[in-house]
Amino acid sequence: MIEARDVSVHIGSKRIVTGADFQAAPGAFVSIVGPNGSGKTTFLRALSGDLGYEGEIRVGGSDMKQMKPWQLAGIRAVLPQAATLAFPFTVREVVKLGLTAGRSGALPGEDERLPERALAKVDLEGFAGRLYQELSGGEQQRVQLARVLCQVWAPVLDGAPRYLILDEPVSSLDIKHQLVIMNIARDFARRGGGAIAILHDLNLAAMYSDRIYVMHRGRIAATGTPAHVLRDDLIARVFECDLKVNVPPPGGVPYLLPQSIGRSAG
Amino acid sequence: MADQVMDAPAALRRPEGDRSGRALATTLACAALLVVTAAISLGWGASDASALGVVLDMVSGGAESVPARDRIIVWDIRLPRVILGILIGASLAVSGAVMQGLFRNPLADPGLVGVSAGASLGAISVIVLGTGALAPFVAPLGIYALPVAAFLGGFVVTMALYRVATRRGQTSVATMLLAGIALGALAMAGTGFLAFIADDRQLRDLTFWNLGSLAGATWTKIAAAGPIIALALLAAPFLARGLNGLSLGESTAHHLGIPVQRLKNVAIVMVAAAVGASVAVSGGIGFVGIVVPHLLRLMIGPDHRYLLPASALLGACLLLVADAVSRTIVAPAELPIGIVTAAVGAPFFLWILLRRRGILDL
Repeated sequence: MIEARDVSVHIGSKRIVTGADFQAAPGAFVSIVGPNGSGKTTFLRALSGDLGYEGEIRVGGSDMKQMKPWQLAGIRAVLPQAATLAFPFTVREVVKLGLTAGRSGALPGEDERLPERALAKVDLEGFAGRLYQELSGGEQQRVQLARVLCQVWAPVLDGAPRYLILDEPVSSLDIKHQLVIMNIARDFARRGGGAIAILHDLNLAAMYSDRIYVMHRGRIAATGTPAHVLRDDLIARVFECDLKVNVPPPGGVPYLLPQSIGRSAG
Repeated sequence: MADQVMDAPAALRRPEGDRSGRALATTLACAALLVVTAAISLGWGASDASALGVVLDMVSGGAESVPARDRIIVWDIRLPRVILGILIGASLAVSGAVMQGLFRNPLADPGLVGVSAGASLGAISVIVLGTGALAPFVAPLGIYALPVAAFLGGFVVTMALYRVATRRGQTSVATMLLAGIALGALAMAGTGFLAFIADDRQLRDLTFWNLGSLAGATWTKIAAAGPIIALALLAAPFLARGLNGLSLGESTAHHLGIPVQRLKNVAIVMVAAAVGASVAVSGGIGFVGIVVPHLLRLMIGPDHRYLLPASALLGACLLLVADAVSRTIVAPAELPIGIVTAAVGAPFFLWILLRRRGILDL
């Protein structure tokens, strides 16, 4: 479980996140949505251990403030919004960096095959020998996801669940690879891991999430299942946009069609 | 690919994109090259003394009856010079590689960004003020006064540079280079002032710092700088994994479990110690730290687990070769080695700059 209780985050003297309560349990895909500047990324960075915060964050039962970087790295892996690379590593070398997370010793032999498995999973078979810096933005993002997968796949002795923390994982991807990546994260959760993702596409959030947190002006404005959270009044209030949510038959997921704005305005 | 021919046994081949085999082979080749270069340097000099003869003479307990003059030339002149060359070359190349990893930029070099200038200021303070104002600090340190002062000078500059150039975990190249120029100029102003108040004998010593030289290598100098450089070189491999992670940025390195702040602290102290000790005994020898790691990255890739040891070996080779050139190109006089490394290194630096111009956005 990754859990936040009454967490506030300041950057400089400015308060970005106020009193956020949050839970991501093993087996669940949890997404965070909200307009630009609502504090999503800042909150996620606090959850990742990058920023100081007030309140309490517990990772796998322990107080995060007491945990060493390598202990955290053994429990959660983080996909950044964009990652630049300083030197010309090959794709395989970048992916393999995920395997060294939280450890100092040599790798067991079977780990050597994980980079190839991870690359196949993100649809980058045959890219292992290419230089990372020569790939397109979307390909680089998938390489980073493969690196993150290596980190959460590496065997854990205690069998404790691992967590994927994804900051806008599909922002620079085409529609096919958006679905590939979302499926990977959901499958990871189905098998007992946890997934936390910031998403801008509310329809993707509705399709994949077990639980959605809506952030607005630094606070958690609503939380619950997609059907519970994605309602006309909430979308209008938080995103300041008069968008109709289509309610599906029982059991389906709600969906939004952006062109309905134009119609209602005209 | 299904139609690919299966030639070598699959188990022996490394997976595509894994350059560790090539890196290991290159590192071993650098080690072999160093052995050869050192042996040649030992046997090569202005006099016709034979290093082989001296070695055979020692092994056989004097049976070769080598003249005492030859023994002194090989044992007290050439050998210290070769050892010092190896130490300095390894120290400068590894410092360059670590600094580039720390700043996440292939253009960071202790000589370019003012670290060497800071170290020179520390060393020159001891030369000029060591018998005067600084005597209470210098006297108890003995032969270590010079390297310690140079370390402090280099340390202050590296810390200041990191503070100025790095904001929220990202290092700006332009800021780093410009801050390096400013800090270097400040150190040079201090150096200039000390030269102004120095007497004639001190002034001659000072000239040596500006050019850099391995001439006058003695066992005492090796005793003063050797342990510090050796410690710094031994610390370097422990930074390798962290520097690999750091190339993805500070926050990603943290996500990978790397104690980023501790890594940065150790790297800064390591660079300042290695550069300080090197500058203290050989002056400002430039560009080794930028040429060697860059060449190696082209050959074996940027994995610091191989890059750091290979840099140490190739840096030592390069400095021995440069020293051989400096000893012979204007024989019987001797050119300061700093002139040789700058004449080769500066055009090389420009070449890197041209290749990376688009990426750097300078």
